[in-house]
Amino acid sequence: MPLKWVFNWQPNAGSTVNSQILNEVSQCVESINGVKEGRWKATLTYYKPMLRDQALAAEFPRDFLGISLPEQPNKYYFILRGHKIVLEADSSIQLIMEKLQSYKSRVALNFEGFQYQLGDFQLRVGKVVPTHSENLRGIVMEVEYLPISSLEKSRQLMEEFVDIWQDAVSKRSLPGHFLHIEPNFSDYGLADHYTSQHTAVQYAHVMAQLIASVQAGQAARN
Amino acid sequence: MECVVQGIIETQYVEALEILLQGLCGVHRQRLGVHEICLKSGPNLGFVASEVRLLCDIEQAEPTWTVKHVGGAMRGAGAEQISVLVRSMVESKASKNVLRLFYALGYKVDHELLRVGFTFHFQRGAPITVTVSSVNKMLKLHATDEAVPVTPGIQLVEVTAPATSENYNEVVAAVSSFCEYLAPLLHLSKPGASTGVVPTAAAAAASLMSDGGGTTL
Repeated sequence: MPLKWVFNWQPNAGSTVNSQILNEVSQCVESINGVKEGRWKATLTYYKPMLRDQALAAEFPRDFLGISLPEQPNKYYFILRGHKIVLEADSSIQLIMEKLQSYKSRVALNFEGFQYQLGDFQLRVGKVVPTHSENLRGIVMEVEYLPISSLEKSRQLMEEFVDIWQDAVSKRSLPGHFLHIEPNFSDYGLADHYTSQHTAVQYAHVMAQLIASVQAGQAARN
Repeated sequence: MECVVQGIIETQYVEALEILLQGLCGVHRQRLGVHEICLKSGPNLGFVASEVRLLCDIEQAEPTWTVKHVGGAMRGAGAEQISVLVRSMVESKASKNVLRLFYALGYKVDHELLRVGFTFHFQRGAPITVTVSSVNKMLKLHATDEAVPVTPGIQLVEVTAPATSENYNEVVAAVSSFCEYLAPLLHLSKPGASTGVVPTAAAAAASLMSDGGGTTL
């Protein structure tokens, strides 16, 4: 399947994300001739262990995530970032987890917005909001290059596109920038040929960056 | 949800059973080689203990994994009168990391089995699967090459069919009706309510083997 890079909006020190930035980013895509195609939505869930003795919580993973992706409506993905494990399963795995009752949903977030076609590229710009809330927690962007599935073969081309994109965004003088840090996919047993498991791992890493920047912002205010 | 009955048959009559099933089902058998790992939650995990099964199909060139949760049986006076077990069951295909994932989540191996045999999948009032297999245990953890039969000379026969809360009565009827055809060779009943081998098995098997299944039992 086509490869994609997932970006996370990194606010400048002292600033926070807001819907005005989201609007500016969307306008920026359209200014470089991105054609709006429709909506997209992914949902990420943090799971917590149900423990009889909370004192033993350190024995269980705190970074257990599940994610559903719009391009794989019948699949669900689990990620344990600390253990470098990613799992692809049928959507029914969520029902199995409910029946086991060993882990329950702690918080769920939606990544949602519009997708745009730009030649051989597909862009998605999305807000990060808790489910059942409009409280904006972040902004993400996906850049997908449709003709190629190889991460290595596409690298230079993606970097060139990103340069054009960052140039367009910088003209708007927004208080932040999009950041892409590629996870070490081989740590997760993933190969050069891109799959939705790669996307799931990228989102898990984006969440870690998002949490880190929120915590840094809170520390600065304190 | 699924409907299930089980029975046992002596290994010497399995070939005859296969001939009978071939005639009844009208499809070819498929080889079965499944490594079943039964996991249980560790002592502190969950307010109640939980179990989940990981099934690895080792017959495929690239082993494939399935996660299976078997829930409680349907209860009540109506359920007791049904000769077929109706229970909740949820399955999910999973990628090969699934055992590592459950270990990391705090699950531990309770027991594991290797099932070797064959299956028939066919439609007869409901999509029915008949599995005939020897059940083997591993002498060392995950050592499928060193498995030995749990009950030498005896194989397990399982008849299952998926069901929903709306159609389980029809599925139960379909499974019960099909099982009657197997009665001369083996008796099928709810898991846990086995009646052992049937006395007519030898004669029925001899009849099937002598003319390749042309005889009406």
